Amino acid sequence: MNEYGDKRGVGGVMYAIQRVATLLLIVAAFFPAFNPARVCTMISDNISLFTTGISYSRLTSEFARAFRMNWVSQGAFVVVYIAALVLLLGLIALAVGGCMSVGNMKMQKTGLLVSLGGSVAEIIGLVLCFVGYNQILSTTMESKLENIGPKLPSGLYIYAVLIAIVIIFTLIVLATFPKFDTNTKYEMESRYKLFLMFLPFVALAFVFCYLPLFGWRYAFFDYKSGGTLGSDNFVGFKWFAYLFQNSATRKDMILVMRNTLIMSGLNICTSWIPMIFAIFLCEMNNLHFRRFVQTCTTIPNFISWVLVYALALAIFASDGFINTFLKAIGSLSADATGDNYLMGNSFTWVKMWLWGTWKGVGWSAIIYIAGISGIDRSLYEAATVDGAGRFQKMWHITLPGLLPTFFVLLLMAIAGCLSNGLDQYLVFQNAQNKSSIRVLDLWVYELGIGSGSIPLSTVIGMFKSVISVVLLFGANAVSKALRGESIV
Amino acid sequence: MAKTAQEKLDAKREKEYKKKHKKIYRTTPGDVVFNILNYLFFTLFSISCIFPFYYLFINTISDNDLVKKGQINFIPRGLNIDNYLKLKDVGDLGNAFIVSVTRTILGTILMVVASAFVGYLVTKQEMWKRSFWYRFLVITMYFNAGLIPTYLNLVTLGLTNNYWVYIIPGIVQPYNIILVKTYIESIPAELEESAFIDGASYMQVFRKLIFPLSKPILATIAIFGAVGHWNSFQDSLIYMQGNSKLFTLQHRLYIYLNQASNLGNIMSQSGGGSVDSAVADALNTKVIKYTVSMVSVIPILCVYPFLQRYFEEGIMLGAVKG
Repeated sequence: MNEYGDKRGVGGVMYAIQRVATLLLIVAAFFPAFNPARVCTMISDNISLFTTGISYSRLTSEFARAFRMNWVSQGAFVVVYIAALVLLLGLIALAVGGCMSVGNMKMQKTGLLVSLGGSVAEIIGLVLCFVGYNQILSTTMESKLENIGPKLPSGLYIYAVLIAIVIIFTLIVLATFPKFDTNTKYEMESRYKLFLMFLPFVALAFVFCYLPLFGWRYAFFDYKSGGTLGSDNFVGFKWFAYLFQNSATRKDMILVMRNTLIMSGLNICTSWIPMIFAIFLCEMNNLHFRRFVQTCTTIPNFISWVLVYALALAIFASDGFINTFLKAIGSLSADATGDNYLMGNSFTWVKMWLWGTWKGVGWSAIIYIAGISGIDRSLYEAATVDGAGRFQKMWHITLPGLLPTFFVLLLMAIAGCLSNGLDQYLVFQNAQNKSSIRVLDLWVYELGIGSGSIPLSTVIGMFKSVISVVLLFGANAVSKALRGESIV
Repeated sequence: MAKTAQEKLDAKREKEYKKKHKKIYRTTPGDVVFNILNYLFFTLFSISCIFPFYYLFINTISDNDLVKKGQINFIPRGLNIDNYLKLKDVGDLGNAFIVSVTRTILGTILMVVASAFVGYLVTKQEMWKRSFWYRFLVITMYFNAGLIPTYLNLVTLGLTNNYWVYIIPGIVQPYNIILVKTYIESIPAELEESAFIDGASYMQVFRKLIFPLSKPILATIAIFGAVGHWNSFQDSLIYMQGNSKLFTLQHRLYIYLNQASNLGNIMSQSGGGSVDSAVADALNTKVIKYTVSMVSVIPILCVYPFLQRYFEEGIMLGAVKG
């Protein structure tokens, strides 16, 4: 047995069970379904234990009227809030104890005691939940009992069971803990130390990137905002079928896919423009002018689409620059109402492409400019001596030098062809161009946030995500086969 | 980027070389035409990029009556900064400005520190299951649960209508972590080893050695992060539906742009009713829209030319990785 203790054997198994139970307790704190503090049905079923413990206002968000009309005493909810807070503090202690369990034996022992302390806090928290429940039960007006609906949540039992497991196994491990030299320092192997420093970021990535995947389950329910998921509204693949069978939705989808693919297609077909832009820019010998052009043309890339729209209005709206200028030079009578060039549905796709190009071309060119400066100057010298003209040099030296970069960017563009982004189309859409500007991202936004069809928009989002990943890996495979290099 | 001494020397040598071999490098009439067209094109394109900003600007600093009549096209007249001073009466704009500024500062700092720290940790081969956890982070770049599941997730976490939704989800940025990791790997390992021999801990090495040494890359990701935060509009639009006090400046601007009626109305509705009608009349909608636009673009216009170098380095780093 070394100073880190023997983690295999019987004690090791006990330890493992205790750790798993601890982990489950912590993860459960982020799921509303397991919230032990939801002691009456009127508390929003969208809040997890974590939310309950950090925000009293969220806990009582549904109760403004109930408190005002004195249906139930507010004190009971303070108790519940404190209970959730104590539960959270206990969870923190359990987490610390769990982390300490990868240290040396002295640290393990202290960690076990911390875990024990955390478990005691958990028990206090659960008891407080129960007290809060009883208070609600006793203070609720008879007539409103059904509205408030006091009940013991299933999360309470789940927590009780898990905490019992943690306590039992902590005690077992403590009882069988081998003797060790108490004069050693608290220490931890550096591999675990590094891991524990890394852990908070893993947790963040888990909560914000992996946990949303769990939200794909909404696609299988008849879910309305604020409702619940249960066996009564489970509908299986209804929404998947709906997308194709409902004729109105199908028509919408075809329209949206057309817009999405045409706009992506325009961008892909013209993705050589930044390269040409860079080549011609580098043909200018005046370095100061080149810097000036580069500065000017890259600025639009750093303003938001809302600002692009603001600029567009300033230039093209009926009281914008174009119209006032036409009036100033007399080709439009002074009292005429000018055209608003942003309205209307003519050439919407081309207009959107133009805005995108105006915003992005200078910036996209930078990568090619750097590529050009990386090309061996002696190639140009040699070509010049051999009598090559300007365009021959461009064609035979510069272009081949840039093609690998171009190829990678082209593949990435193809892989991302379903993700046009939302901002541009949202700001530029209006009543008249709706039918040609609505791309996939905009459609998902309108369906889900605008009209509340959460399951349907989740289904569309799922299709989009899966196809995008497949396209990305397809593009990667193509790149590997053709160039022997991967792009992801 | 200023011309370096080397570049200057090269240019000089090239000139001398060309003078010596005039015959090969002589300028043909075709070249002249090409050059004229080329310079013309780039001049026009540059103007098209700059002019809208200039147009907005001159309209905000000119006499409002002239603006109303549409007489300010190229030259500002009747200079004054009253429009900017009047902005303080536009309801909710101050709030939006504070939200945007604080989220830009706080969000960028946290993101940069986290990227630096995680980037450092993942270079440590001895970490428990390092490659697994590294992949666990990096793979999140390639998939996306979609708008609605992400939104519902934030609802259950209690982050909607909450200021922290601007900050917390943006802390871990896999792409930036990769950039920092690549950069740290290029720092000579001996530096770190000698620090460890002297008894430094991981935290000390990170604080005193790695963090200062990776400042160039951190500056780059900081700038990109700050621009992203300043420009962010979507998160405010989707996650703040119930709390208009926390809208970002871009979101406010979007609302103002879509407001058909006189902004004076908005002011008296949301500004607490303290605005008298004379002021409201004097503010014509167009000018206020322009002025708010200017306020949200000025920080970028002021900062960009000085930091252009970092921006360009940033895109090159991405290319090296790609």
